[in-house]
Amino acid sequence: MAHSGVPHHLSYPRFLLKVLDRATDGTWRFYAWMFVLTAIALVGANTWAWQVARGMAVTAMSDHVSWGLYIANFTFAVGLAAGGVMMVIPAYLYHDEDMHDVVIIGELLSVAAIVMALGFVVVDLGRPDRFWHMIPGLGKFHWPVSMLTWDVIVLNGYLAINLHVCGYLVYTRYRGERPDPRWYLPFVFLSIIWAISIHTVTAFLYSGLGGRPFWNSALLAPRFLASAFVTGPAFIILSLQLVRRFTAFKVPEGAIRRLLDILRVAALVNLFMLAAELFTHFYTGGHHAAAVRYLWLGMHGHHELVPWMWTSITLNLGAVAVLLTPSLRERRVVINTALVAIFAAVWIEKGMGLIVPGFVPSTLHELVPYAPSIAEWKVTAGVWALGLMVFTVALKVGLQAMTGELRAPGADADLAVEEKEVA
Amino acid sequence: MDEKPTRRVALKVLGATLGAAAFERALSPLRELSEITSVGDFMQKHYRELSRDEMNAVLRRLEDETQQRYGREVTIRDVRPTEGVQFAYALNLSVCIGCRRCADACHVENNHDRPTHQSYIRVLEMTSGSMDMEQGNTGYDHTVPAEGKFYMPVQCQQCENPPCTKVCPVEATWQEPDGIVVVDYNWCIGCRYCEAACPYHARRFNWHKPEIPAAEINPDQSYLSNRIRPQGVVEKCTFCLHRTREGRLPACLEACPTGARVFGNVLDPNSDIRWVLENKRVFVLKEELGTRPRFFYFFDV
Amino acid sequence: MLPVACEDPAGYADRSRRFADVPAGDGSRHAITVHRPASLSGIVGTEQTPQGQPVEVSCATCHEVLRPPPELPASPQTLGGPHSGLRFEHGSNECRSCHDPERYDRLRLASGESVPMTDALRLCAQCHGTQHRDWLHGAHGGMNGHWDLTRGPRLRNHCVDCHDPHAPAFPRFRPMPPPPDAPRRRADHG
Repeated sequence: MAHSGVPHHLSYPRFLLKVLDRATDGTWRFYAWMFVLTAIALVGANTWAWQVARGMAVTAMSDHVSWGLYIANFTFAVGLAAGGVMMVIPAYLYHDEDMHDVVIIGELLSVAAIVMALGFVVVDLGRPDRFWHMIPGLGKFHWPVSMLTWDVIVLNGYLAINLHVCGYLVYTRYRGERPDPRWYLPFVFLSIIWAISIHTVTAFLYSGLGGRPFWNSALLAPRFLASAFVTGPAFIILSLQLVRRFTAFKVPEGAIRRLLDILRVAALVNLFMLAAELFTHFYTGGHHAAAVRYLWLGMHGHHELVPWMWTSITLNLGAVAVLLTPSLRERRVVINTALVAIFAAVWIEKGMGLIVPGFVPSTLHELVPYAPSIAEWKVTAGVWALGLMVFTVALKVGLQAMTGELRAPGADADLAVEEKEVA
Repeated sequence: MDEKPTRRVALKVLGATLGAAAFERALSPLRELSEITSVGDFMQKHYRELSRDEMNAVLRRLEDETQQRYGREVTIRDVRPTEGVQFAYALNLSVCIGCRRCADACHVENNHDRPTHQSYIRVLEMTSGSMDMEQGNTGYDHTVPAEGKFYMPVQCQQCENPPCTKVCPVEATWQEPDGIVVVDYNWCIGCRYCEAACPYHARRFNWHKPEIPAAEINPDQSYLSNRIRPQGVVEKCTFCLHRTREGRLPACLEACPTGARVFGNVLDPNSDIRWVLENKRVFVLKEELGTRPRFFYFFDV
Repeated sequence: MLPVACEDPAGYADRSRRFADVPAGDGSRHAITVHRPASLSGIVGTEQTPQGQPVEVSCATCHEVLRPPPELPASPQTLGGPHSGLRFEHGSNECRSCHDPERYDRLRLASGESVPMTDALRLCAQCHGTQHRDWLHGAHGGMNGHWDLTRGPRLRNHCVDCHDPHAPAFPRFRPMPPPPDAPRRRADHG
């Protein structure tokens, strides 16, 4: 097995240059896709700049509903990042060979999703120019008391772990070398626990607030994880099919089947928890149920979120029905539609259906409705575009490293075959 | 071995340059940041880290900035608490008539934004016989007091166990020795986690730069309370600490025409507030949350 | 890091900034002054001075010289002269419940003691003891000034500042406008 004998301080910069070169190289479809995403990201950036200059009054948030579309998407993005781990567990704990080949895709999704999550936090800050106040040592980091500081640690830590694992695997393959398990396996196992933690900590941000009875439930963290294990696999399955279609990378059917299995169970658990929450609120009644009543039935003449929620539950139940029907298993188009549907359903349920009702009615029981402004939609689209750009580029480079296309001069292309036998 | 520059690389460089230019244009509104912040503001340390001299320098800078941005000369002091003082507030629900003069006085005293007529106090019109805030109404606009109703002003409870100070990621809000929960407006990053955590709707966020005509500005200001707050930060009732820490009554109390409000040092056994707490059947809002407010309500009968 | 030592939970880097530099006082307390309403010393007529000020006539001007005091009318509403148009809604009281029958510009306590009109507070307190007790402890009736009397005085409202003795119910009036972000309900306007 030939490998590049060049020392790291020379080969790493060359690797980065090559990555940059490959990241900007592609078919006309790639350029069109990246151009569209760039345009959306620029619109988002511009809107965000106006928001920073003129104040968050450009959003539809108020002192009653002080978190909205940005934090809704933040929560969803964290879930997406945690969902990536659903590939790591079968691949490394259960030695699922098919999954092992594609696990990097889940990890790269985690990277992109964390970038989105961090992006949504930044655009939600009233004073992003004061970001340095959060840096331990330089500013004042209120750890361990503030759950937000825990979230900063776990999110950035998860990003670092995934960047390291993916970066190490890609770089070693670039050099034509066999990855040393000691440099990545511990981090992989760490990422499993860490993935659970990022979404648990994010849930704890909300569930620890006694003044918000809608969130103050022990079931919030488990619900978050269940829905994360729906959206992560759904997105990955759809991405895997796109990878099959547009790249030379071979995606084993077993990986998709395993992800579908996980998704089915997670979706059922998610629905069960939702039913449990609805029963507890509606059966008990009283103030505890005010937010839930507003959400599903409307209150005091306000029905803003009702159509969203019923759409969400319809999509959810419909998708689950499709996914559980054996005769539909081979109908790829139908399955994909169900995946898109359940992805949208959870986005609604976790976003608009979780963040906004925490504030409606307010702590003084005032019912002030919220619907995102155009500016919020633009900024949100911009952050999603950024995330998709990161994901596209990461996938491009990562998969080229796996297939042998991304190699240093003098390094063997077919390392992939050997590496599989060893692991 | 390096690749020779090709047309493809040249195109990529062109694309990157155009992209960078577009990005710069996209972010151009940030040039307006000088209206809401400055280098001194960016570099400033946390309030509790400042020495006396540094604090004075900050106060002078803030006074200059107020002059530039609002056209009014003001005095901003650092009013510190007195030892042996723990504030408490009581409100007589049998006497309050819901006239909202307290909310209006707060608006004027604390240099609140004029277009939104902001105030730290919200008055709920409640139905007699029920403490259910669900039946409450803050938007009433008829002669007061109305038949069968009582009125409950709500503001920051300055809790003994505040949920808001726990959640702040940068310690921009904390409880002072005399019990007042304060915010360092120059340290707050505007994440609004404290606003989500507060069970009493006590906190306000500056969704835009506050607008106040120069003639209406109250020039007697302090760093932690009623100076004009910057855009993008959270603020709250401070029991008018620029007045109360110097022995004066808060603005809301002085404005109350019926005398429904009682304020003082709860550690003083001869104070009015002590008498109320010892002789009236006082209660607090949302006691079950364990926040231990120092704002008490009572009825006469 | 974990919270700092217990004796300084707020954690000030410059400990000298933790509390105010308060000069040692001599323990003296400022006064609590009770406002003296003008309506207890005279009556404001419709006439005006050349400077445009309303003409105020002290009670003694008439009641010093009217001997014996004039007959009381059948009802307070039919009072004439400078007291015409009096609104009377004070429960089951009548004129002599409060006014000294020998000198209407003086008040008569339950003990029979005659006191000047400016001592009205003592009379109100006789029947409205609970309100008076609350007022004494700052829980009723407004105040201006200082909570800390070692640093400044306090001015209290007199009962009569808010409660017209002849129709003492606190007046109803329009409140200040509601907050612009308050949700409106149908029953709000009236």
